[in-house]
Amino acid sequence: MADGALLLLQAAADSTRAYGDFPVIGARAFVWITAEVHLMFAAFVLGVPMFAVVTEAIGIFGGDERYDRLSKEFTRLLLVAYSATAIWGAMLVFGLSTLYPRFWAYLTAIFAPSMWVYAALFFVESFTLYLYYYGWDRWKKGRAKLGHWTLGILLNVWGTVVMFIANSWLTYMMSPPRDITPTTDPTTIKLWHAIANATWMPINVHRVIANVVFGGAIVGAYASYRFLAAKSDEERAHYDWMGYVGNFIAMSALIVLPFAGYWLGREIYQYDQSMGITMMGGFMSWLWVIQAFLIAVLFLTGNYYLWIGMGRIPGAERFRPYTKWLLIILVLGAIVWGTPHTMIADSKELAAMGGSHHPLLGALGVMSAKNTAVNLMILTTFLSFLLYRRANTRPVVPWARTGTIIQGAMFAIAAGIVLFYGIRGYFVEAIVRIGFSVYQVLAVLACIVCVTVIDILMARGAQSLGAIRWGKMPPRSQYALFILAVTFTWLMGLMGFARSGIRQYWHVWQVMQDTSKYAATPALGYASKMISLCVLIFLCLVAFVFWIGGLAEKSTFVASGAGNEAAGKGARHVGH
Amino acid sequence: MWATNLKIVGVVLGTLALYTLIANEIPQVQSEVPQTLTLGANVTPEQLVAAGEKVFNGIGGCTTCHGLGTRAPNLLTDEKGTGQIGVRCGKREPGKSCKQYLFESLDNPTAYVVPGYQPIMPVMTKQLQVWAVIAFLESQGGTVDVTASDIPATSTTSSTSTTGGGGGGGGGGGLAGGSTDPKAIIQAAGCLACHKLDGQGQVIAPDLTRVGARRSAESIRKKILDPASSIAKGYEKLAGIMPKTFGAMLNAAQLEALAQYLAAHK
Repeated sequence: MADGALLLLQAAADSTRAYGDFPVIGARAFVWITAEVHLMFAAFVLGVPMFAVVTEAIGIFGGDERYDRLSKEFTRLLLVAYSATAIWGAMLVFGLSTLYPRFWAYLTAIFAPSMWVYAALFFVESFTLYLYYYGWDRWKKGRAKLGHWTLGILLNVWGTVVMFIANSWLTYMMSPPRDITPTTDPTTIKLWHAIANATWMPINVHRVIANVVFGGAIVGAYASYRFLAAKSDEERAHYDWMGYVGNFIAMSALIVLPFAGYWLGREIYQYDQSMGITMMGGFMSWLWVIQAFLIAVLFLTGNYYLWIGMGRIPGAERFRPYTKWLLIILVLGAIVWGTPHTMIADSKELAAMGGSHHPLLGALGVMSAKNTAVNLMILTTFLSFLLYRRANTRPVVPWARTGTIIQGAMFAIAAGIVLFYGIRGYFVEAIVRIGFSVYQVLAVLACIVCVTVIDILMARGAQSLGAIRWGKMPPRSQYALFILAVTFTWLMGLMGFARSGIRQYWHVWQVMQDTSKYAATPALGYASKMISLCVLIFLCLVAFVFWIGGLAEKSTFVASGAGNEAAGKGARHVGH
Repeated sequence: MWATNLKIVGVVLGTLALYTLIANEIPQVQSEVPQTLTLGANVTPEQLVAAGEKVFNGIGGCTTCHGLGTRAPNLLTDEKGTGQIGVRCGKREPGKSCKQYLFESLDNPTAYVVPGYQPIMPVMTKQLQVWAVIAFLESQGGTVDVTASDIPATSTTSSTSTTGGGGGGGGGGGLAGGSTDPKAIIQAAGCLACHKLDGQGQVIAPDLTRVGARRSAESIRKKILDPASSIAKGYEKLAGIMPKTFGAMLNAAQLEALAQYLAAHK
């Protein structure tokens, strides 16, 4: 590799002032914190509108006004959150322009036009939000309501385009087109050529899905706080329902998130194999064990919340014996997923371990086993949800028994395909094995889609075994929602570190080197402290946003009959 | 309500503390910036071992394959009951000292392919790195006898890093010492790490055993110089993986010899 030549070029270019420093915490930590907190708020103001527009649609087309009020309650929080996003974004820009001026000048030389479009769209997005929120009560009925809903869609469109633009800057840093070299004059680089780089679209898709997850999780945490603070059963019922909706959306989107992650990972490998190796088998390899642990927490906590929730559903008792088996599958899956393999280690550590992985259990650390584990965990979580969904109903269609058998067979076939390719993966070449993960994913997705369709058809005219007793949840279920929100946020910080860290000592991969005193990429221990600090700052500010939101206006909860309303519609929930 | 608030704060802080604690308990590996490795004329064996360990774990990319012994022999712990590399290296080839054996293995990785493994190792061309790695490998259970006098006077500096890399370093002015022996070029370039040829190598990239039936010498030459110029059917997803640097690494005679050699594989 021409590292030496590049180092010399970079050193020569460093004769002008390239870096500033920030008191006490240093330049890198300042940019890290501002970028991370800005991104968390950005995810919040993108994820929550997605949540809001979906719930408003359910309210409009399902005729359930609770969803409309829920949507408005969250849109109100966006007003303050937008300000926070802008403030942290401004701090990030000031940080970059004063602490990393040469790098910032390089980026602006390429992306300046897109930065102006970004700023303009942020204005448009803000005013759309004002119209959307302040027009809520004015455009409440008929066509006007549909127009209002369209504003919500537009809000999401502007927000998504804004995110796509920002994504192009950071993905260019990761994967600049191969014809761009350290000697390329940035002013000669075509804007679209830089934007449409190898990882741009995978990051876009990954972040859109992740924002839905994040929005749902934050809604769940908000609802759980209000549930715990509730002073009446009606209020508790309302926020129990809201927490369920938030968790449902977060978990549903989480199920498809790994597939987007695989795509991104594959694109990184295809762009530059050494970057892929650094990510999965190099100094970042331990990060994936931490990620596996966090996702195991998400799966276990999400399922735990559903299982506790079955306690408030009449008829759910018949499914309770199955939960221990589901738990066993989830725990085993989590253990397999977290099995280390070919971790980077120095010679002493390798000697102490007896090799780069355990001689026996190491066989579970390869992708064949891990893909199998995660696909079975997804299937299990889907089964948990299915049981929850059917808990208080008994299908009455004449083909109900046949339908259930077909559903069971679909689960068995999907699990069989996943296991078959998982085992077969041990006996084929790597290039063939990589392709097997596609078959496993397709089997799981096909099962989810087909079983859901059958379930919807089977639920027609189903006999109700009783209304869901919203609010009849033990407090520990609400703390589970908090753990979910904290874990999602922390995971976002961790994966941000992975994405940014694989560039190592490059501002722009193999084009512009980081020659500052902070060029080395820190170990996970340091990164975890920074992530925890950013999550804490974000959560404190979000709590403040919620408090301000509560001061400004009453919540969507309406004491008069709200509990009865919730109870009256208790047999129905998002899954129905 | 204060009790509830405190519980919530406790849950949040407890969760954050747990994740932070776990992330701090695992091995801490920092990705360093490559530094210029300069070993003077009075370099000690200890300095060579330390430098070799950095190369082995870093830019040399050795750990990618020489881990437990799945893709390549285990160089750090025991290899099938024969002991550590520092112990067994002197016994591998009759009449060859440990130092000689290791040098020849790094200089020409096909010289002594251990039975059961594929000849996929690329050549490490930077002499300073080579001797530092030899010293490090000797220190794994054996006696370090590499000295400053082993290192050619021209090899004064080299880049190293503690980050993971892939494969050995490339050289300028023609691979394999400028040899026009196609097999030596293929070995030095590490082609068999991805391609299969005459029953040896990997099948990540197209099998080259009958490449002459699919491509002319001109097409092969073009493909080597510009790997993106044409992609074999079925390998579209792997486009971009083949290094684009062979044009700069091979001299004209080598390129021609390699193209003709492969074109003859029909």
